[in-house]
Amino acid sequence: MGIAELAVGKALKLKATEAEAYVQRTQNVKVEFAEEVETFKTTESTGLGLRVAIGKKTAIYSTSILNDTEVAEAAEKAVKIAKVAPEDPDWNHFNRKFGETSVEGYYDRELETMEYREIVDRLSSSTKLIKDYDKRAKPTRGILTLVTSKVSVANSHEQSAERRETSVVFSIRAKAHDLGMESTGNEHQETRCWKEIDFEDLAVKAADKAVKFLRAKPIPGGKTIVIMRNQIFANLLGIFFGDSIGADWVQKGKSPLAGKIGTPIASENITVTDDGTVSRGWGTRPFDDEGCPTQKTPVIEEGVLRNFLYDTYTALKANVKSTGNAQRSGYWLKPQPSPSNLLLKTGDAHPEEMILDTRRGIYVDTTIGEWLSNPVSGNLNATITHGYRVENGELTEPVKGVVISGNFYEILKKGIESIGKDVRNSAESYSPTVKLTEVTIAGE
Amino acid sequence: MKESEDTIHLERILDEALRRGVSYADVRFQSYDYESVSVENKVLESYSSRKLSGFGIRVFLNGAVGFASSSDLGHESLEKTLGNAIKAAKALKSKKLLFSDVKINESDAELHVKIDPVDISPEEKVSVVLDANKAAWVNDKIKSASTRLGLSKDYRWFASSEGARITVETTIVGLSHISVAQASGVMEWVPHSESMCAGFEFIKSKDWNSFATEISELAIEAVSSKTPPPGTYPVVVDPEIVGVLLHEAFGHASEGDLVSSGESVLSNRLNSPLASEHVTITDEGTVEGGFYCPFDDEGVKKDRTIIVEKGVLNSFIHDRESASKLGAKPTGNGRAQDFENLPIVRQTNYLMQRGDCEFEELIEDIDSGVYVRGRGSTGGEVEVGMGTFTFGVGPSKIIRNGELAETVRGVVISGSILETLKTVDAVGKDLTVKTSVFGGCGKSGQRASVGFGGPHIRVRRMTVGGR
Repeated sequence: MGIAELAVGKALKLKATEAEAYVQRTQNVKVEFAEEVETFKTTESTGLGLRVAIGKKTAIYSTSILNDTEVAEAAEKAVKIAKVAPEDPDWNHFNRKFGETSVEGYYDRELETMEYREIVDRLSSSTKLIKDYDKRAKPTRGILTLVTSKVSVANSHEQSAERRETSVVFSIRAKAHDLGMESTGNEHQETRCWKEIDFEDLAVKAADKAVKFLRAKPIPGGKTIVIMRNQIFANLLGIFFGDSIGADWVQKGKSPLAGKIGTPIASENITVTDDGTVSRGWGTRPFDDEGCPTQKTPVIEEGVLRNFLYDTYTALKANVKSTGNAQRSGYWLKPQPSPSNLLLKTGDAHPEEMILDTRRGIYVDTTIGEWLSNPVSGNLNATITHGYRVENGELTEPVKGVVISGNFYEILKKGIESIGKDVRNSAESYSPTVKLTEVTIAGE
Repeated sequence: MKESEDTIHLERILDEALRRGVSYADVRFQSYDYESVSVENKVLESYSSRKLSGFGIRVFLNGAVGFASSSDLGHESLEKTLGNAIKAAKALKSKKLLFSDVKINESDAELHVKIDPVDISPEEKVSVVLDANKAAWVNDKIKSASTRLGLSKDYRWFASSEGARITVETTIVGLSHISVAQASGVMEWVPHSESMCAGFEFIKSKDWNSFATEISELAIEAVSSKTPPPGTYPVVVDPEIVGVLLHEAFGHASEGDLVSSGESVLSNRLNSPLASEHVTITDEGTVEGGFYCPFDDEGVKKDRTIIVEKGVLNSFIHDRESASKLGAKPTGNGRAQDFENLPIVRQTNYLMQRGDCEFEELIEDIDSGVYVRGRGSTGGEVEVGMGTFTFGVGPSKIIRNGELAETVRGVVISGSILETLKTVDAVGKDLTVKTSVFGGCGKSGQRASVGFGGPHIRVRRMTVGGR
């Protein structure tokens, strides 16, 4: 019997009506580098998140220690807290229907046998490319993280499931110095497997960006056309829809999309799908963190809001089926409905054509502070650290330090002129390059 | 000191490491308890309790650093983890070891706590949160309210092959609240929290019902306010935003690792004037209202470091490595999120020192400006290489003809920190330092609890964004 089943059994013995255990074992390799690899560390972590219900009273207790004594103590504490918790009138029960969808590309066997030396060599050759690219550029900071994890979920409805998954995250930053001017260039990529990381390509891109931006300047503010690079728009999709399409926010009145199912919330060229089954997706897996099978859920179809995302609790409360979107941001937290892979459907424009068709505007390559945006009000705020002026169909001078503001939901309704076909992801959000009209810029 | 069987085994692993040829080793054990009680819309959303414990071993071999950690304290795991750390060090190219000498400390530090939060019953904790949440529903413009109580107790044990033995125990408690208001189709949220390095006596000492009520009232006021027209204005900044701004836009740039890598905008600027003469900035291990940080995770004592003195850059903050690289003394700023992470250069309590102006004097000669406020702020981000910052601040006030006028919402401030600090032309005589049990500062994937603050200040030019 595994730790998860053991924990469930202990809780039931202590008169819990129901129990659910989530056990995670993670092996993590994290390498930090600048010009050379600076630190190399490995971490082995374990954790148990135990949820119990006594009637309609619930609690969660977690521990990082997985032995019989500690598991027994966890069960005792969870039950003790549940006893004093006020009743949740909306509580029904834990997931009663486990299942697995056949998906692929979420486990990279290669990580099991990776030699430390191979990792270090690959990073060293990537950072060397930055110095070779231009003598004004040098690598200043980068992180590579390789994670292998094993997750088990079991509950008192006598069901259990187990999965193994991997992830690889790479980020690299170059800095350029010349004649007292300085600038940076960053790139990042998140994938499920080692082979997909474009180490060399990203290193060169970071160096190129750093050098080009030595002479970047702010520009005057005003309303303008903005062409947003795929990864940047993906990031915004995640910020504005990550929580607002989740049934949790909808039911609590926090989502501005509540009550809008079946109504147009975006222009007709916008179709957004959550798909937990797409091959090699960042959020792809056979079942969610409660053991529900993952699926493909239309969220926005040709501008019309179609569905929210559900976990077991929110689904039972709304009297619908879970969409398999239960996610725990840590084993110690209860699941929340969140996107698996959030995909903006591609259009037919080529990014180069978008630029060619633009008389005046800004091409946004990199932003910071976009997470300061407010998904409740729709207020979009991001500072462009790397952009280009677009003049008569061409990228001209580099631009930095200007703030994009506007209302994201209004931009989706009126301001999407064209959508590209070049998809990239920022974690679980996937988007092509997008051309927006009428965005306000605060500049010099 | 809480001498346990675990720590005796851990000390032995230091000897084993030396036997296996390392030039230095340290081991950190941690036991961390965290409790969080959340109420959303008058219903208990979750009561979660977390226990985390384990150890991490750092070794130096041929000038390279190796690190490994595990949450399994068994004998086999200790051996395996040491092996992993050595393997990691061997995978790196040998380089010259850079590690400053420090005073070897042996000390037990514990924050004085009157009421241990562990001794408070779950019922009492739930009722504090539930009552505050109910108080937030002041009228029907409030669409959502969530309230959270956070309690944490962090015990850290450090030992090195040089003979250092340090324990630090810190307790921190706090309450956070978010009110969401809606009026004529506009929604606005105001998040705010208060925390203190103290026991449950801090929770008992405050009226959390009025705390939540005030946040709701602010959300209602904000939702019917306008956003300011984007542009460049003179601004008066409140202590909370001064603290966040300094921490994010200046503090990070003063971190020795970012300075020595050349990544920081402050590299090579020691002893240069960087700010107006009104500006003095310090980093202090223990300060009223801030986070309790008497020693870092390399066993180095954290005293008061003067970063900027009357506008001139005086010092950076360091761990042992960055101090050595830059030929400075370690300042006790080598901090790790937990036992699973290596210490890196982090701020502790980073603050601007008080000046001599009354609040009225700060605003009286501003014809058209903004009073930028922290309550309800959503945080900030900075590009350290260029010193560019962006912060979403809370509902703020327009300053017109030397007086506070209407409230504005959705305010974002942005600028370059070096230009901003140069245009600080007046500093208030007040001083507020805050910390938080709920979040902390992120760097290289690690979070650390910090304290931040300062007085009210006046900045001559700042870019204000809005819609």
